Parts: sequence; C-alpha cells; structure tokens
Amino acid sequence: MQKDFHYYATYCASLLAGYSHEESLSICYSAQFVDCCTRTLLSSLKAPLSAATTQLQLELANARTDPVGLQDITRIWASFHFLPGDLYAPVKKASRHYQNKYRLICNPNGTLLSDTVELAKGSSLQAAGIAMHVLADTWAHRYFAGTPSLVINNTNFYFYELFPEENTFREQPVVFSHSPGTPDDVEKSHYNGSIFQSSENSIMNLGHGRAGHLPDYSFIRYKYLPAWGDYEAVVKDNPSDYYHAFCQMVYALKYLRGLVPTFEAYRYDFDSVAPWEAQIRTILGKRQSDACADWKALGETISGQEIGDFDLVRYQQEYRESPERDKNNTFLGRFFLAALAQKSMVTNKIFRSGNLLAGFSVDYAEKGFRGIRDFIRLVEAQKGEQHDD
Amino acid sequence: MTNMQRIKKVLAAILMILCSCIVIRYPEEGFYLVAVIFCVSLLLYGIRTLLYYLTMARHMVGGKSILYFGIIVFDLGIFILTTVNDPKFFIVIYLFVFYGFSGIMAVLQAFETKRFDSPSWKWILIEGIANTAVAILAVIAGLFLRSSVDISYLYAACLFYSAFIQLSTAFRKTAIIFIQ
Repeated sequence: MQKDFHYYATYCASLLAGYSHEESLSICYSAQFVDCCTRTLLSSLKAPLSAATTQLQLELANARTDPVGLQDITRIWASFHFLPGDLYAPVKKASRHYQNKYRLICNPNGTLLSDTVELAKGSSLQAAGIAMHVLADTWAHRYFAGTPSLVINNTNFYFYELFPEENTFREQPVVFSHSPGTPDDVEKSHYNGSIFQSSENSIMNLGHGRAGHLPDYSFIRYKYLPAWGDYEAVVKDNPSDYYHAFCQMVYALKYLRGLVPTFEAYRYDFDSVAPWEAQIRTILGKRQSDACADWKALGETISGQEIGDFDLVRYQQEYRESPERDKNNTFLGRFFLAALAQKSMVTNKIFRSGNLLAGFSVDYAEKGFRGIRDFIRLVEAQKGEQHDD
Repeated sequence: MTNMQRIKKVLAAILMILCSCIVIRYPEEGFYLVAVIFCVSLLLYGIRTLLYYLTMARHMVGGKSILYFGIIVFDLGIFILTTVNDPKFFIVIYLFVFYGFSGIMAVLQAFETKRFDSPSWKWILIEGIANTAVAILAVIAGLFLRSSVDISYLYAACLFYSAFIQLSTAFRKTAIIFIQ
C-alpha cells in the first residue's frame, strides 16, 4: 500500500472510529511514517537504529545476506509490512528450512494480527498508527513473505491482469520490465518488477518485488502462480481486499478507543462505513497509481477540516531539540518505542514457533536483558509505565 | 552489490592471480593442480544446487529448472575431471566454453542495459567483446600451438585477465531495483 491508503484512508478510518481530527492526523501520520523510518533517517536523528521500520533501496543493496543480515531484514519486513498469517502452517514433506520460510507468508486475520492490535491497546496514538499500517499491509501484501526467498516470492510468466466485463473478466497478460526509475504506466498496463535472481536469498526476492507495485494498487485484479502454490493460480482482488482492510481498520480502531471490548479476527465494521461505501468503492476501483487526492477529499468531507499533506520533517526538530530524558515523550519518541515493541513482539512470536529466520528472542522476565542494546530504551519505558501505574 | 559480494570478488581475483603464478612457474604440475581445484569447485557447486532443489526448490513453481541446472553443472565437473590428464584439450575446451558463454551473455546484457539508457552499457559491451575474443583465441591457439606449456601460458594470461575483471567489477558502482 502507498501514502493514499496509509495516510489519507487511515485518517478516514480513524474519524469513522470516533477519533478527533487531531488524533486522526497523529494516527495516519504514524501509519505513513512506517514507510519512512529507515536507519539512515534514524542515524540523522541519533535515534535507536533498531526502531527502523523499513529500508531504503541503498540500504538493501548493502545489506548482508548471511544469516545475521537476513534476520535483520526479516525482523523489519515481517514485523511491519508482511505480517505472517500462520506461524504454525502445516507443510507436507518439506525440509525445516522450507517450512520456516513458508510460515512467514503474509495473510490477513492471523493470530499475529490480533497480537499486533492488542499490543497497541492502551498505548500511544503512534502505536495505533503502526498497527493500522501492519493491518492494512496484511491485505495488500498477502501471499508474499517478508524475507528474501526465491522459493516463496518468485513469480513467472503466468501473470494476468483481470478486467471486469459484464459478468466475467477479460484476461490480459502482464509483462514486467526491469527499468529502474521508470514509473508504471497503469493506463497501458506497463509495470516494473525486480529482476529474476536464482539465488534463494537475493534481495530481489524480498516481498512482492517480483510482482512489482501491483499489490499496492487498489484498483487492480490479477491472477498468477505464486512460487509456493503448487501450480494453483491465485486470484487477487484488490478492490475487495482494500475495502475489507478499511472496514477492519475502523473495527480495530474502535477496539483501541475502548468502544469494542475485544478484537477478533474476521470482523469488519461494515455498518460504520456503510454511509460512505459508494464513495470508497469508487476510489478503490478508479484506475490510478496514486489515489491521494480522492482519499483526501473524502476525509475532508467526513471531518469538515483540512488535511495537511504528509510532511516527513514535521516532528524531527522536536525530537532533536528535546533533552535526552524527554525524548520518549516526543511524537517521534513514542513512535520509536511503539516500533521497538512491535518488532520485539513479532520476533518473539516467530522465535517461539521454532523459526530462527527473524533471529533470537530473549524473554526479559525470565533471563533479564540480553541482546541488542537499543531495546533497553523499550524496557526502561515499560518499567517507567509500570512505576507510574 | 553488497560489501560481502565485493569481498568475495576480490578474494576470487587474488585466487586467480595465485593460480596463474603457479601455472607460469610450474606449467605442467601447476596446471594439473589448478584444473583439479576447478573441477572440484564445479562438482561442489553442482551438489549444492542439487541439495537446494531437494530441500527447497522442488516445492517451487518452475523449480525443475534448478534441478536441470544442478545436473548440468555436476555433469560438467565430472566431464572436465576426465580431461585433466590432457591439458591441451582441457584448456581449449575450458577457455572456449567459459569465455564464449560469458562473452555472449555480457554482449546481450549490454544491449539490454543500453535500452534502459544506463551509461554502464559500454563497459559491459567491452567486457563481452573481450571475453568472446579470448574464446576465439583459445580455439585458434588450440589448432596452432602444439606445446601444452605454451597453452598453459595462454591459460595463465586468461586467468590474469579474469582477475582484472573481477577486481574492476568489485569496485564498480552498482544499482538494484527493489519495489516496496
């Protein structure tokens, strides 16, 4: 998903869940910031590098693909963009290594999604924003894994875009080019994808790189053979998936506000969204690579207030100028704590499933602090919260 | 290209220079040693590819291509191992296949790179032409050079050339596409 959904659509969902204009802006800013919080940005802010929620192309190009480097990549992409659907998915007659990769395939409505939303409960608006990013991406990025893997993430020539025609769909083959920097031409169905690399752990085989930007476009429907699918074609209906994502966000945000007692998978707040369903479905189905303007207009109609554009540097000065002891209370400080908490939780769940692809996780309550020092900040913040309680 | 890949390329270049020095110093015995190292490397690579197929790629759509590739590499390793006792034949075959294939692939890649307006296409084209020239030279030398020692020297020169290419590639600026 892109800024149109993570920023503007998340703003709309927050409003429909009952948050105020200002609260909704904080939530949607945090949701979009997940796509911007790189190690390069964090080092410029002198912030904990482990709070990175994404990686720049250049960072990926220089990323190591040895086991430790792969664990670092997996922690970022599986925690924030490709949340695994089932960490205990059965795999028949497969090696442990294949099974571990297969179990990282992203899908909506998994146990980890409930864990993600529950983790944000009672926490900051920034945590809610991060949870909404993760939730929305489970719909857009389903069927791909947040770890480099040829055997999971590869696609082949069997790739068709589906165009609705009366009661059926017309199939048109999708041919991906590999032209760096060239934008997709959605009108002519010309798309970019990453180059085929036969190496299992090549960065080219991370996430949906082989399928290009297609999972990120709300209007598109396509079918293809996922590498893991045993030659069974998968049909991806993005307009439907994105609508479910939106309604699930409203439901999850209501849970975070305390309007709903529990968060359960497979529940969507269709009722709250119903008055706006026609407009939302029109935006989702409109053939365009960037729906920001449409979502912004809808958000301003719902709230009656102007929505400022996403400004990457908006909160950076506050963080830089804040004294060390107060940094956790700044907007970005709260975002970093929430990101560390999310990464820590997902890594722990993957580790506990017997899968080491995201690295080791040490239970602080049992063994005290061990491991990456950045997470001391999270431990101290949680100790502070307990002390305040 | 990652730092680790660059380090691997530098190490490969150093190994090639060492091998070529050994071949120049001891044309007969040195060559035999290098040929055995090369064959064992191919065999190990073939086995590794076959293991990758058995443990991972057999579950993948289109994974059979990995199996075929592993079999071909493994088979090539065995074939070359049977020819190391005839240095002249081995060197000519090796130089022709290796440099010829690399050359053609580089020329094709250069044309594709040019299509995307990347400035690096000229460098890739030069590399491709040079590799193809080495392959042709190897066949001509095989027909006219009667001494195995002379052919060993040609092989050593090619190894030096490959080491140079590896080093220049290791320090070349690279770009990748990645779709978020």
